[in-house]
Amino acid sequence: MKLHNRIRMIVVLACAFAVTAVAQEMSKDEWQQQMQELTAKRDQLNSRLSALQTEVDNLKKQDADQLAALNKCEDEILSMVGATKESAQAFEAELGRIDAKLDELARLSNQDLWSRRSELDDVQTSISNAKKNKLSAIPKYYDRLENQQNRLNGLRRSIESSMANTYTVGTWSKDRDCLWNIAKKPTVYDNAFLWPKIWQGNRDQIKNPDVIHPGQKLNIPAKAELTADEKAATRGYWQRKQSGQTQMD
Amino acid sequence: MKKSVGVILIAGSLMAAVLSGCSSKPSAEELQQLEALKSEISSLESRISALESEKASLTRSIAEKTAMIDQCAKDKALVEQRLKSMQ
Repeated sequence: MKLHNRIRMIVVLACAFAVTAVAQEMSKDEWQQQMQELTAKRDQLNSRLSALQTEVDNLKKQDADQLAALNKCEDEILSMVGATKESAQAFEAELGRIDAKLDELARLSNQDLWSRRSELDDVQTSISNAKKNKLSAIPKYYDRLENQQNRLNGLRRSIESSMANTYTVGTWSKDRDCLWNIAKKPTVYDNAFLWPKIWQGNRDQIKNPDVIHPGQKLNIPAKAELTADEKAATRGYWQRKQSGQTQMD
Repeated sequence: MKKSVGVILIAGSLMAAVLSGCSSKPSAEELQQLEALKSEISSLESRISALESEKASLTRSIAEKTAMIDQCAKDKALVEQRLKSMQ
């Protein structure tokens, strides 16, 4: 009984295998049909490829023509300003140096910037010289120079804003504070001769410019030339000083 | 039981004979031909795809250059104007 069952099972499996194997094989008709379909597709792809190749060739030519036209236009601009590619490169390098200097100065604290403020004048000279060059008429250089000028102006503004507009008087023994010395400080006027400006700006608390007191909070008027009134007050001060009068009104 | 086994055996052999023998099959050479055609199509499709992307890149490049040429013409007019004011 067991043997019969095994034989039956083997036969069924063999039949199923035979049917599957036969079904997977391709018939001649199917082969022909596939060949026809694939041949038609190949022909279609070949003509598409050929059309594309023509299009790409035309585009390459068009691209090369555009490049030539662009180079010609750029050369014309250079010749308008009487420059060559080499001189334009040298000019660009100079603008690069200005940018680098501005970057360096922009990294400084206001205090350090103040102590190196003469370098701002050097940068201004470089920018002004560059602006005289005809190459500066070319928009990319023109815009870059404008940007550099704005950055420089910004640095100047930040120095000005960092300058004190009030000053608290220290002691003579420690700070050597008198109007002359206060006006001389880099963060005040950096110019001792402007001391009358502080005096006149604080008439309510300074009667005698020779006498200021520790802890006094002085207003520092904006840095400028002495006004006619300030000059007159200074003359009066010296006259009274010469005549031996110490108390000022 | 012996009978049923015999019947199944005969039926299986007949089915295999009918399915495999009654339809003609392509030769090995023909099958190779079919495979060659398939690989030719695959190669054509890759070349077309490469050309399509080259075409797109060229089209972009031309459009960029056209814009640059237009800008250059405007720059030229501006330079001319600025040179006059520099003199």
